[in-house]
Amino acid sequence: MTTTTLRFENLHRRFGRLAVLKGVSGAVEPGGMLLVTGANGSGKSTLLRCLSGLLAPDAGTIEYREKGTGLDTAERRLRVGVVAPDLAFYGELTVAENLDFFSRLRRVSAARGFAILDRLGLPTDRLAGALSSGMRQRLRWGWALLHSPLLLLLDEPFQNFDAPGERTARELLAEHLAEGGLAVVANPATLEFDHAAQRLDLGG
Amino acid sequence: MRHSASTWVAEAAAVFMKEWRCEFRTRYSLNTLALFAFTTLVVVSFSLGPLGVSLSKGTALLPVLLWITLLFSVAAGLPRAFVQEEETQTAMALRLAATPSALFCGKLLYGLTLVFALEALVTPVYVAMTSLAIASPGLLVVVLAAGGYGLAVGSTLVAAIIAQARTKGTLFSVLAFPVLLPLLVLAVELTRVAASGTAPDVALPQLLLYDAVVTVAGLMLFPVVWNP
Repeated sequence: MTTTTLRFENLHRRFGRLAVLKGVSGAVEPGGMLLVTGANGSGKSTLLRCLSGLLAPDAGTIEYREKGTGLDTAERRLRVGVVAPDLAFYGELTVAENLDFFSRLRRVSAARGFAILDRLGLPTDRLAGALSSGMRQRLRWGWALLHSPLLLLLDEPFQNFDAPGERTARELLAEHLAEGGLAVVANPATLEFDHAAQRLDLGG
Repeated sequence: MRHSASTWVAEAAAVFMKEWRCEFRTRYSLNTLALFAFTTLVVVSFSLGPLGVSLSKGTALLPVLLWITLLFSVAAGLPRAFVQEEETQTAMALRLAATPSALFCGKLLYGLTLVFALEALVTPVYVAMTSLAIASPGLLVVVLAAGGYGLAVGSTLVAAIIAQARTKGTLFSVLAFPVLLPLLVLAVELTRVAASGTAPDVALPQLLLYDAVVTVAGLMLFPVVWNP
């Protein structure tokens, strides 16, 4: 089997006495998208953090295979592309310098990141600390797609975007899925997509 | 998913260059270290200068004050190595992009250059202001290099451990005490030896061994304390 798949089963995660994830399961196949919905505090961001490897679940299993090869948590963490509201960049560096730094860490050319930011209409000579919230969201998208990840984990991916920004981000997501990539999208309200998405409601 | 040594070095170098680029724009650590070093130097020179210190007392006392000056200056600046990443929420992007060991070494290299610059600035001024006679300058350079490396690696490791804690300042003091105490005892002893001109005993190999042990411990512990 040489395909890329993500499966998670019976995930549990507590913060102190508060149980946030209580036996959550799901799977995504190549070209597929899982839309996770639920009220504030229902565990959407926690689920995405567990899937990215930023947070360890208390119980349950996460199995991610990339082109047929199973990746452990540390490898998965470095491979996924993440857009999240609490993802920040170096405010004292320009957009271009941030992208250049992370492309060196990821050992890829920064050209793809610059091309995406160009499509999203983000000027790269501006300090990241001087960006508006919508521009910061554009930078998150450019950063997430920099290393051509096969799995995208998108937490409130269209927040703060204006209409052209959201349209371009949706196009980028559609292209990612068309190329056989996977995506897990978390949003408080349901989102409408041109392509079919599996849905996972975490309730309230 | 395994990386070659050259890409690992490139990653560590990228972290090192990013740290200095950010530092040159904010000058937070440079200003803090310089201010602490200058204040302590002035306090020491005002306290000891007019009273005068005899040669025998000076050899015993002045190395202690030199290392206290270096320790406090380092403690004021280096613990922010990882704390700032957490406070500005850039830690998440780093966790998702950087190999932990390369990140640790990049941060360590940055801390090391800061400590060496501090030592190069403070030590000659301190020696001149306190009239500390150094019989073995070569040994003093070795002690400053090995001791400075120990300060940098110990501080970087403790900084990584405390980064996610709520009471960062208190925790740094509590954790730094057992980590840095052996280093300071050995560094002070060897600085006394350099001042008096006697032959160094087992303290120098012990200091080098300390550096090696803390480096290996840092490389082994860092991925655990940095990631969940």
